[in-house]
Amino acid sequence: MEVKELTCVICPLGCRAKVYVEGGRAVGWEHLECKAGEEYVKREVERPLRDFFTVVRVKGGGVLPVRSTGPIPKERLKEAVKELAAVEVEGPVRMGEVVVKNLLGLGVDVVATWELE
Amino acid sequence: MKVEEFEERVKGDPSFSRVSLRISLEGEILFLEGETESWEQVVELGHLAAGVEGVRGIVNRLWPRGLPKPERKREGKGKAAWDGMRADVVVVGAGIVGAGIARELSRYELEVVLVEKEEDVAWGQSKGGASWIHGFAGLDVDPTSLKAKLCVEGNALYDEWAEELDFSFKRPGLLAVVMEEELVPLLEVAAERVREHGCPVRVIGREELHRMEPGLPPEAAGALFFPTYGVVAPYEVTIALVENAVANGVKLLLGTEVIGVRVEEGRVKGVITDRGEIFTSFLVNAAGLYSDEVAELAGAPEFTIHPRKGEMLLIDWKRAGACLHNLAPGELKEDPYTKGGGISLTVDGNMLWGPTAQEVPYKEDTETTKEGMERVWRKFSKYLPSIKRTDVITAFAGVRAATYTEDFHIAPSRKVKGLVNVGGIQSPGITAAPAIARMVVDILRKEGLELREKVSFNPRRRAAPRFRELGDREREQLISLDRRYGRVVCRCEHVTEGEVVEAIRRGATTLDGIKFRTRAGMGRCQGGFCTPHLLRILSRELGRPVEELTKKGGKSRVVMGRIKEPFLGG
Amino acid sequence: MRVEGEVELVVVGGGAAGLAAALKAREEGIEEIWVLDRNERPGGILPQCIHTGFGLHYFGENLTGPEYIHRFIRRAREEGITIKLETMVLRLTKEREVVAVNPSEGLLKLKAGAVILAMGCRERPRGSLLIPGGRPAGIFTAGTAQRLLDLEGYLPGREVVILGSGDVGLIMARRFAMEGVEVKAVVELMPYPGGLGRNVVQCLEDFGIPLLLRRTVTHIHGRERVEAVTVAEVDGEGNPIPGTERKIPCDTLVLSVGLIPENELSEGAGIELDERTGGPFVDEFMRTSLEGFFACGNVVTVFDLVDHVTLTGERAGKSASQYLKGELPPPRRVREVRPGENVRLVVPQRVSGEGPVTFYLRVSRPLREARVEVGGKSFFRKAVRPPEMLTVELGKEEVGGLGGEIPVRVLGKPLG
Repeated sequence: MEVKELTCVICPLGCRAKVYVEGGRAVGWEHLECKAGEEYVKREVERPLRDFFTVVRVKGGGVLPVRSTGPIPKERLKEAVKELAAVEVEGPVRMGEVVVKNLLGLGVDVVATWELE
Repeated sequence: MKVEEFEERVKGDPSFSRVSLRISLEGEILFLEGETESWEQVVELGHLAAGVEGVRGIVNRLWPRGLPKPERKREGKGKAAWDGMRADVVVVGAGIVGAGIARELSRYELEVVLVEKEEDVAWGQSKGGASWIHGFAGLDVDPTSLKAKLCVEGNALYDEWAEELDFSFKRPGLLAVVMEEELVPLLEVAAERVREHGCPVRVIGREELHRMEPGLPPEAAGALFFPTYGVVAPYEVTIALVENAVANGVKLLLGTEVIGVRVEEGRVKGVITDRGEIFTSFLVNAAGLYSDEVAELAGAPEFTIHPRKGEMLLIDWKRAGACLHNLAPGELKEDPYTKGGGISLTVDGNMLWGPTAQEVPYKEDTETTKEGMERVWRKFSKYLPSIKRTDVITAFAGVRAATYTEDFHIAPSRKVKGLVNVGGIQSPGITAAPAIARMVVDILRKEGLELREKVSFNPRRRAAPRFRELGDREREQLISLDRRYGRVVCRCEHVTEGEVVEAIRRGATTLDGIKFRTRAGMGRCQGGFCTPHLLRILSRELGRPVEELTKKGGKSRVVMGRIKEPFLGG
Repeated sequence: MRVEGEVELVVVGGGAAGLAAALKAREEGIEEIWVLDRNERPGGILPQCIHTGFGLHYFGENLTGPEYIHRFIRRAREEGITIKLETMVLRLTKEREVVAVNPSEGLLKLKAGAVILAMGCRERPRGSLLIPGGRPAGIFTAGTAQRLLDLEGYLPGREVVILGSGDVGLIMARRFAMEGVEVKAVVELMPYPGGLGRNVVQCLEDFGIPLLLRRTVTHIHGRERVEAVTVAEVDGEGNPIPGTERKIPCDTLVLSVGLIPENELSEGAGIELDERTGGPFVDEFMRTSLEGFFACGNVVTVFDLVDHVTLTGERAGKSASQYLKGELPPPRRVREVRPGENVRLVVPQRVSGEGPVTFYLRVSRPLREARVEVGGKSFFRKAVRPPEMLTVELGKEEVGGLGGEIPVRVLGKPLG
C-alpha cells in the first residue's frame, strides 16, 4: 500500500489529506473534514482530470488561444501541448471553431477561444 | 609632504603593517604598486599619496590580496568596419564630456570621430536622471582647483547650451537646510565662504524658508539659498549634444571599443578599436570610468580612477508639488556614505534622492544595495515627511570616475604627443561640461591642431516633441500631421507612438535608448505596459525580429525566443 | 480639439467592469454610452488570461478569460454601444469633462452626464520593492510575461524564478511549465501561498514546481540579462535572515507581488481614495465622493474573481443610469463601514441605507470556523483565507436598522 499527501481544493479550508492507495484506488484517508473532500481525493487518485488550454501559432505571426472541450487526464497535459506545438492556424477562425479533432484520441476536441480575422 | 615622508608615514602606521607598497615617481606622476588587506586601504593610500608635493597624478596599482581582479572582456566583434578611417581628432567616450568636446570641435573644419563602446550615448556616468547645475563646487573644495573654476564657468554657459540645444533646463535654486536652531548663526559664516567661490547666496530665516518650501518639517530652522543652482537630465543634454555634433559632421561610432592606441615616435598615430583602426594624430580621452585604461593603452598612464558608487531613489512625479527647490542637508556631521547628495528636482517633475558615496573596487558595480537604499531613505525622508515609501518608483546606482587627487585631470599628455586626457570628471562634471569642452579645444589648438571655423556650423538642435508637455492645441496640430502622436503607448508618462518612432529615427535601437529619449518605461509601472508595444515598434522600424532586440545592447535580449520553440527544436 | 458636447454616459475602461457597466446601462435605457479604452482591443486583461476558471458564478460555466469577455464584447457590439479603442483618457475634471486622445480622431473633449471609472489595476513593479542588485533585462511582472507569451507569442525566458505566489504568479508558473520553460521556484514571503489552493495544486504541484514559503529574493545578479537570483529565508517581520541565502541560476525573474488599483485619473478629478484599497471610497451604489462619478471592478479594490468585477460593474451601470434619470436616492444618512479585527479591507466603505448591500471583504490572515460580523449580524464560514474575497449580503431592512457606524470583523481559529 502506498501513502499519498493530497491537498483538497474543494473549499478554502484546504485539508492536507493522507490517502492510502492500493491498486490505483484510494482505499482510506485521514484529515479530511467533509464528504466532498473524500470524493475529491478518490477522483484525484483514480483519475485526475485537468482542463487543457494553450495557444497555437498563427501563420504569419501571432498566436490564438485554444482549449479542450472537456478535461483530460493530468498526465497527458504535456503530451497535449506538444501535439499543439506543431499546429499552425490561418484566419479566419471563429470563436469555438475546432482546431484539433479528438485530441490524442481522448474524445475531446481543441477549439479556438478567440476569433481570428 | 615629500615622497620619502609619505613612505615613512605608511611604514610608521601599524594599520598598514601588512601592506606591501612600492612607490616610484616618474615626472610628476606617482606610481603605487603592491598589495593591501582591503579595498579601503587601496583608496586610503591613494588619497594619502595625493598629498605629496608637486604630484600631478596618482597611478594606484595597489590591489587587495585575494580579491579577484576585474575581468575586462574584450570580445572582438570580428568586423573591421572602421578599418582605414581617417580623422583629425578621435574623441573616446560619448558621455556628456566627450559629446560636449565633439560638438565644440564640430564648429571647425575637421574630421571628428566620436567613439563609444556602448550601443548608445550617455550610458556611463551621464545616465543619471538628474544633475544639479552647481553654483559652486562645494565648501570643502579649494576655490583655486580646476573643478571649482570650471564649475563656475560651466554654470554661466548653461543658458546658452540649453537655448541652442533645446534641452530642458531649470534654475529652481538650491536650499541647504539646517534642522537645528544652533546651526543658524553659522549660515552667515558659510555664506561668506560661498561668496569667495563667486557664487550668489542668501541666508534664509525660518519664516521665509517655510514660505519658500512648505513641505519642510517644523524643525527646519534656516537655510542658505543658492539662486543659480539649476537642474538638467544629463542624458538629455548628452543626446542633444551628439545630435547637434552629428548634424555638424561628427561621425559617431557606437558599439566600438578602444583596444589600443598606435603611438609612433612619441606621437599618436591611430586608435585601434575592436572594429578596426582609425588613423589620427589627436586622441581626446574622455572615456570616463575607463579613461585611466585608455591612457594606459597609449603607454602614458597619469592617473587611476577609483570607482565611487552612488545609489539613488526616484520619486513619482505625482508628488511633484511636495518640493519646490533642490534641497541639500546642512549638517554638521555628515554621514560619510552619503556625503553630498540631496533632493534633486528633475526636469520631468520627479524627485531624485541621493546619491550615496561608496568606494568600490569594480567599475561595473552598478548594483543597488539594501543598505544604500535605506541610507538614502533615512537621510532625506526627514526633510519631506509627506513622501511615503510607496512614492518611490525605483532605485538605481551609478559609478563616478574619481581620481585620487579628486580634481579634474584635464591636460595634454607629456609623454605622448597628441593625447589629451580628460579624466577624473566627477561632480560637478555635468556643470563644468561646457567649460571643459572649450578648455579641451584650446588645449588641442596649443598642441598644434589647426582650427578653421566652419561657415556651415549650425549651433541649433531641436528637441523631439513631447506629447506630455504640450498644450491641447499643439497636440492637435501634431496629431493632424502624424496620427501616431495620438496613440499613447506608455500610459504612465503619456508617451505616444510618434515620439517612439522619432526616438528611433534619432538613433535609439534598444528599449533603454527609447526610454532615455522619450521617458517610456520610466514611470511608475516601469515598463510593464509599454514594453510589448515598444518591442513591436522597434522591430517594425528597425526591420529586426523581436527576439533580437535588447534592453541595452550586448546580451540583454528582452525575450528568449518564440513560443513553441522548445518543442520545435528551437 | 473636437468638442463632442454632451455624452450621457462615459465609461473609462473597456474590461470586465466597464463592459458590464455599459451593458447594464443600456438595459436601463441609456442611449448614448461611450466606452473609452486605451488598448487596441477591448476586454482589458482577460484576452491574455487563456486559462479556465472564469464565469463559474456568473454564468455557471467554466470559461477561459477570452471566452468570458468575448460574451460581453459581442453583446456590446450587438447593443450598439460605442467602444472607442486606443483611446487614452488624459484627464477628468470634477465638472465631468473628459479629455481623451486617439490616433484616428485626435483629441476629444466630452462633457459627460455621468462617468463610470473602470480603469482596473496595474502590477507592482520591481522598482517599488527595491530588490537590491543589478538592472538587467529579464525582469518582468507576471502580467507583462503573460502578455508576451499568450498574446504576442514570445518566450520571456527559458529558466524562470517567480517572486510572489498570488494567482497570477501561480498561473504563469503553469503556463511556463506547459510551454517548455523551466520554473526553478516560486518564492513567497508569507508562510502561506498568496493564491487559491486550487492553483497551488494545479499550477505548482502538478508540475513539480517548488513553492518556497517564508523566503524572498534578496539580490538580482546579472548586468545584461538576469543570471541568477539570491533567495533567503525571512523572519517574522519579513526581513531576510543572514546566512540562509541561496543562489538560484535563472535567466528571468517574474514578479507577482501585488496589484494596485489605477487611480491617477480619479485622483486628478479630486475623488477621495481609501488607503486600504487604493481605490475610491464607494457606497453600495458604487457612487464615489464626487457627484456623477461611479466606480467598479479592480479600480475600486482588487477582486479575486472576475465574476465579482462584473457584478460591481452592473451595479455601477445601474446606479449611473438611475442618476441620469434622476432616480438615484441621494446619500442622506451615510454610515461609515469600519474594518476591524482580521479585516484588511471592505467595500463598500460607505452605506446610505437605501437598498440591499453586498459587502466584499478580505481577511488579513487565514482562519477556520470563522464568524464574519457585519454591523452585529453574524455569518459563518468553514474557513477564510486572504486570497479569497468574502461576500456578505445584507437586505435593505437589515442595513436600515444599523447605527451610525458599521463595524466589520472576522473571528475564528488560526488556520495553518
